[in-house]
Amino acid sequence: MKLCIFVNDFKTVTDTVERLSAEKLGLIFIQNGVFHATIKENGKSSHLLEKPASFYVLAEDLATRGLTDADVDKRVKIVNYGDVVDLIFNEYEKIIWL
Amino acid sequence: MSVIEVGFIIQRPPYKSETSTLGVTHAISYQVVDMLLEEGQGVTPKVCFIGEGVLNCISGQKAMENYGVTSIESHIKNALLVDLDLYVCKEDLERFGISEDRLIDAEDMGADKKLQVVPFSEIQKILNNSKHLLVF
Repeated sequence: MKLCIFVNDFKTVTDTVERLSAEKLGLIFIQNGVFHATIKENGKSSHLLEKPASFYVLAEDLATRGLTDADVDKRVKIVNYGDVVDLIFNEYEKIIWL
Repeated sequence: MSVIEVGFIIQRPPYKSETSTLGVTHAISYQVVDMLLEEGQGVTPKVCFIGEGVLNCISGQKAMENYGVTSIESHIKNALLVDLDLYVCKEDLERFGISEDRLIDAEDMGADKKLQVVPFSEIQKILNNSKHLLVF
């Protein structure tokens, strides 16, 4: 299964995301999910970034929150709305929103 | 003279819901409450950002450009402009690795007040002194 997960919150969705796995897994951080890609809580990156997955973060949602490219973890690719559409149609079979 | 302190606790991050915005705008609205009170009475709102709520205080928010809504940054600046006391938990800022130089400042709008970064023990005192607490 090629699964893409939209992570749209900071704290409340992590338990579910941690348990999900797929042959090909992608996490797209949007809305308040962008804090997973940027915030180092107690000096540590989000544990979601330890998953065997590809990571993306939406540039518009970063900018809305006053965050910049420099804040983004190196494991995460910054994408725009057009890129997200391409990911949905070309890279993954199933899409879920958490 | 009877002045009542009202504590506003903002603990939710920005934009996922309107919660934190409502907290700030609700506090600003207390500026006009005085006209409804008797002489000698007053209400002083104190706004405290704790936990994920401190994420509302990062400057440079582009909410109008991307979402078409007034940014929380604008609301916080307006709150400072009308001389509200806004406190940001020092420990939570440090926990999330946010330096104080990234916080919102309303100096460009002519505000005298600034966001005050204080340890949680100070926020606890504010909460203790508040007659009412509103959590957002």
